[in-house]
Amino acid sequence: MKRHLLLLSIVLGIVLLLAAVVLLATPAPTFAQDSGDSMPETGEAEGGDGYCLLCHSQPDQTYTLPDGSVLDITINPDHFADSVHSELGCTQCHGDMSYPHETPVPTTSRDYTMRMAVICTTCHEEQASGLVDDLHYQALADGQYEAATCVDCHGAHEVQSPQDNREIGALACSNCHVIAFDQYENSVHGAALFAGDPNVPSCIDCHGVHGIEHPTTAQFRNNSPELCGECHADKDLMNEYGITTNVFDSYLSDFHGTTVALFEERDPNVATNKAVCYDCHGVHDIARADAENSHVIKQNLLGTCQQCHPDATSDFADSWVGHYEPTFESHPLLYSVNLFYKLLIPGVLAGFAVLIGVDIFGRMRRRG
Amino acid sequence: MAKTQTHHDGYQRFKPSQRFEHIIVILTFTVLALTGIPQKFSSHDWAKSMIDFLGGIESVRIVHRIMATLLVAESIYHGGILSYKIYVLGQRLTMIPGIKDARDVWDYIRYNLGWSKEHPHMPRYNFGEKAEYLAMVWGTLIMVLTGFMLWNPIGTAAILPGAWIPAAKAAHGAEAVLAVLSIITWHMYNVHVKMLNKSMFTGKLTHGQMKEEHGAELAEIEAGRTWPLPPPEVIQKRRRVFLPYAVVMSIILVAGLIYFVSFEESAISTVPRLSAAGETIDVHPDIGDPVIGAQLWTATGCDACHGARGEGTEGLANFSIAGTSLSFEAFATSVRRGPAEMPAYGKQQLSDEDLAHLWVWLTTKE
Repeated sequence: MKRHLLLLSIVLGIVLLLAAVVLLATPAPTFAQDSGDSMPETGEAEGGDGYCLLCHSQPDQTYTLPDGSVLDITINPDHFADSVHSELGCTQCHGDMSYPHETPVPTTSRDYTMRMAVICTTCHEEQASGLVDDLHYQALADGQYEAATCVDCHGAHEVQSPQDNREIGALACSNCHVIAFDQYENSVHGAALFAGDPNVPSCIDCHGVHGIEHPTTAQFRNNSPELCGECHADKDLMNEYGITTNVFDSYLSDFHGTTVALFEERDPNVATNKAVCYDCHGVHDIARADAENSHVIKQNLLGTCQQCHPDATSDFADSWVGHYEPTFESHPLLYSVNLFYKLLIPGVLAGFAVLIGVDIFGRMRRRG
Repeated sequence: MAKTQTHHDGYQRFKPSQRFEHIIVILTFTVLALTGIPQKFSSHDWAKSMIDFLGGIESVRIVHRIMATLLVAESIYHGGILSYKIYVLGQRLTMIPGIKDARDVWDYIRYNLGWSKEHPHMPRYNFGEKAEYLAMVWGTLIMVLTGFMLWNPIGTAAILPGAWIPAAKAAHGAEAVLAVLSIITWHMYNVHVKMLNKSMFTGKLTHGQMKEEHGAELAEIEAGRTWPLPPPEVIQKRRRVFLPYAVVMSIILVAGLIYFVSFEESAISTVPRLSAAGETIDVHPDIGDPVIGAQLWTATGCDACHGARGEGTEGLANFSIAGTSLSFEAFATSVRRGPAEMPAYGKQQLSDEDLAHLWVWLTTKE
């Protein structure tokens, strides 16, 4: 068996070498498949990659589909060689296609893309199994054929590993989600991602990858503070940026957070209109809290409150204590009230304890 | 003769109306505590279980507010009765603490420690009861005022600095803890543990209890020295003054209570989150006309950044929105909110219909 493989590799190597020589030696044939039916006369073995590339590496190769749309069928061999699938042969995805191609052609380019995307699942079973709950997959199943397939995000011949380059995770979405991406790109997270920060979330870190949920469900909303908390309550991570991890706890102790946390835990599928992180900080356009365009910086905060509290006045925005521990300097009234009760409650209870203790003592003493 | 009779029946302390007030206070206080304390400690499992048991956080809040309303109504009633007793019946202010009470505390300690053989002779309301009553008045006042602020934060912030609201929340929670702990310790011990004081339910105290708790009052009763009521004609005269005043005050206070309860909608059920322009979109995109859309595109100045056909321009809107894949809702929300550098367009600049025209036109572009 091994000997067979070795032999095959040698043959294939020679064939490729020959092909390269032939390509370099002969002027490029300038046919487009639409018009040219003639079989190129070369020494290529049928079925090899080089054999396919004889035609498909020619620039500007196109194919007109029955609906009139034009399919670009030129493959850049360099891009393919750089892709994670460079080890695979053409036929592993495209099947055994002899020339002239007899496979029934798709009617539209979208139809073709969708047919090809199904092939990915033959190897990527794990990713495919998660798709059942995926938003794009469900949209496709519902007949919305513009929804993303594997190749719309990952590309076809130039597939790169998304683990090696986190930007891919965001750029893939930008093909369709133009406005969201535009906002994200300029957000504190997006700008940092494209500046090479390895920690900031890209689209997929919040939305998921192959099981993308609808972000407008009650469950997504109720769970969103925990989503942000995954990073923002992580002390080691936040120390790198000098951001307090008290954001999560202080949110939970606030009226909004108290309510949302209870819903998240007890009724995750019931919608609550109490604010979650992104209602105040923005969804895709999150900025540093002290940035001029931040929704939560002092001069913009009232407008943010008014989204839910339309009658709010400028003083209303001051009722927000912030995510930092209140001090006497920052919140004199709140601090004083807390201090007052910190002294009053033990004081009163100590007084009661003394009087009750004395009474019990007296009663026991008199009894005997 | 009167003396032996009272001795057998016990000594009258509370009229049925007063006992009824007490039951109202038991009800409101208990329910307010049961619905309020778990809100303060909502991150604890026991609190979550309590909230679950009471039907979830939203119903807990509603029950809390109903009971708060009842307690305020009871406070108004109590104030009215108190004014009547003081002004019309000319009764003594038996709840006001004085030097005698401080001396009673000291004598009480000395007696219990065995430094003195004599138990203090205490008045109609002894120091413990005065403390509890006045704490109840103080506590209710704090709870009603801070509760109002939490119930109506927007109205409050229109009058007071916003910083009062978190301070009110802190005070409301801390005062609640103080009140509950006081009831559990001081009230429980004095009327349930030390002795079973049934006067709030039966209206009467025994001779022994009177002697211990209200020795001074008992001595007055036994000596026949009771506080006299004014002559009937004086009462009649005062009543004629008091009644209109009481009616007016009651109307004002009850109206105030209704105002208090219905003051602010958004604190109870916040309005659905609006777009930044403060409006929702409520037209169907089917009404959109691409011809009008094309005119609006240039008339509104969309083309300045997005190009003549939505193809985008270098350095401004550096992306194409021609043939937009956005749903109409997403498109409309975007325009209303103003994503990234794009200004928000409110209804003054673009009506909902205009948005439909623009969207339909954009989807026809490539």
